[in-house]
Amino acid sequence: MSGGKSASRRSGRDKKTAQKVAVVGKAERQQAATARLDRLEDDQDAAEILGQQSDDEFRLEDSDEGPQPGEGRKRKKGAKRPGAKRKTRGQLAEQRGPKSFATMLDEADLEDAPEDAQNYLTAAAAPSVYPAHRWCSVCGFAAPYKCVRCGSQCCSRKCFGVHSETRCLKFTM
Amino acid sequence: MADQFVVLDNGGSTCKIGLSLQHLPVSVFPNGAGKVKGERQPLVGDQLLACGDMSTVNIRRPIDRGFVVNGDLEREIWGRAFRSVLRVDPAQSSLLLTEAPFALPAVADLTAQLVFEEFGFQSCLKLPAANLALRAHGRDQPGIAANRAACGLVVDAGFSFTHVVPVFDGHAISSGIKRINIGGKLLTNYLKELVSYRSMNMMEETYLMEHVKEQACFVSTDLKADLLTSRPSRGPHRREYVLPDGVNSTTGFLRVPAEARAGASRQQASSEQVLTMNNERFLVPEVLFSPGDLGLQQAGLAETILQAVEGVHEHLHPLLLSNILLTGGTAACPGFAQRLLADLRPFVSDEYEVGVYMPEDPITCAHRGGAMLAASPAFAQAAMTRQMYEEEGAARLQSMTADD
Repeated sequence: MSGGKSASRRSGRDKKTAQKVAVVGKAERQQAATARLDRLEDDQDAAEILGQQSDDEFRLEDSDEGPQPGEGRKRKKGAKRPGAKRKTRGQLAEQRGPKSFATMLDEADLEDAPEDAQNYLTAAAAPSVYPAHRWCSVCGFAAPYKCVRCGSQCCSRKCFGVHSETRCLKFTM
Repeated sequence: MADQFVVLDNGGSTCKIGLSLQHLPVSVFPNGAGKVKGERQPLVGDQLLACGDMSTVNIRRPIDRGFVVNGDLEREIWGRAFRSVLRVDPAQSSLLLTEAPFALPAVADLTAQLVFEEFGFQSCLKLPAANLALRAHGRDQPGIAANRAACGLVVDAGFSFTHVVPVFDGHAISSGIKRINIGGKLLTNYLKELVSYRSMNMMEETYLMEHVKEQACFVSTDLKADLLTSRPSRGPHRREYVLPDGVNSTTGFLRVPAEARAGASRQQASSEQVLTMNNERFLVPEVLFSPGDLGLQQAGLAETILQAVEGVHEHLHPLLLSNILLTGGTAACPGFAQRLLADLRPFVSDEYEVGVYMPEDPITCAHRGGAMLAASPAFAQAAMTRQMYEEEGAARLQSMTADD
């Protein structure tokens, strides 16, 4: 009995140490890299502008020019059930402003397109057959080492020190 | 028959617009709308040029990832351009519009709707900018053999992405078109990120950073050597960018650090804010030649060119490689052509000639070619008229751009 108790205690301690040297897995690193690439494609101060979209004065007037094509049909649908109070997802999306390109790409269903046809997805350049350079995430020079926790590259002890103090596991910027 | 031909190169960063019949200078203005702090009305399109201090303006762009997604905003910008810049009546004119290859159906519908339903143009032709640029190049350099066949490989390094487009007989070959998802916007943001981490927080100053990028960045022709020489902290690549203080200057300037120590007085030097840059200057454009450095799983520009060439018939390979045309704002970065040639040469069999050309006006080159096309009878044959649009809808406009 007492043996079992001590075993559970030991496992708890293992867990604690494990948290201290937590390593970000491959999937999370990939996710962080993708998110960063997306951020690099963003327009300036995207967050601020998103906040402004509810601001009436910055919105270009768009609703007082009569029904747009496609809009009429939706109105009729709405008229059929006048009791509906909740806004549908579609209506909310319309209020949020224009669709982003990513949404349009999702809706286009290009993955299901016939294979021989060329489209936006097939036109993307294929991955390189050569390995990427490894630049130090702090100073930018060639970096032979990797941070074991987050996988960022570092060139020296000095840069690694800066990295662990400022950027490690934060994936900011 | 239309009275006037409007040529509009609708880029992610700027609109290039002009008339084809007169040789007017082309108007280049931001493709976006921005609001100055404290003002109610947003500034649209060319109004932004008149705005003195751009650093306080938040620009909203109708183009996302290179394609028009915000129809309302684009309508405002185009409307202003047609009314105030060109002073034309769309109902009496034809339009030649550039659109990136493989626009999604939703995007193509949106632009067709704008052209015919909102503005009511008589006819419209949508082409990728690459075709038009090669047309202008063919007139500039008639001596190149490939130009006589209107054949060449256009590298369009723009604001949103970089396209490699093989063109033969004036038509883009769709099986060979390749895209790298790196453009000027990404490079600016990357430089902004690096500088903010290493020197001074510039995350809010995208407009200024664009200027810094244009002034400071260059493409390294020998990366290893450049890295080595910039290794000491006083290397030859080190530069200082003096930030505008908003009182004496609204734009900053670049200088060599040693100059500051010899010239300016101490007090002046202490009052100014300075961004120091070293290897960022060439490691930022380097991303386009090696996207893996940023974690983007795509080939670099030289490899992408080879992929594009592989996508077309073997007999065209020597012609395409002998006539590579660089266009777009990012291609204007110093050293771009030399680096591309240096990267590409080892990949290509030595019996083939590799020629990399850069027009004098990489940004407006496509517009110039467009003006030439619009003036020729070929335009009327290929263009879709408003009547056709009303009868057949946007589908035809799409299929046409796909074939070309």
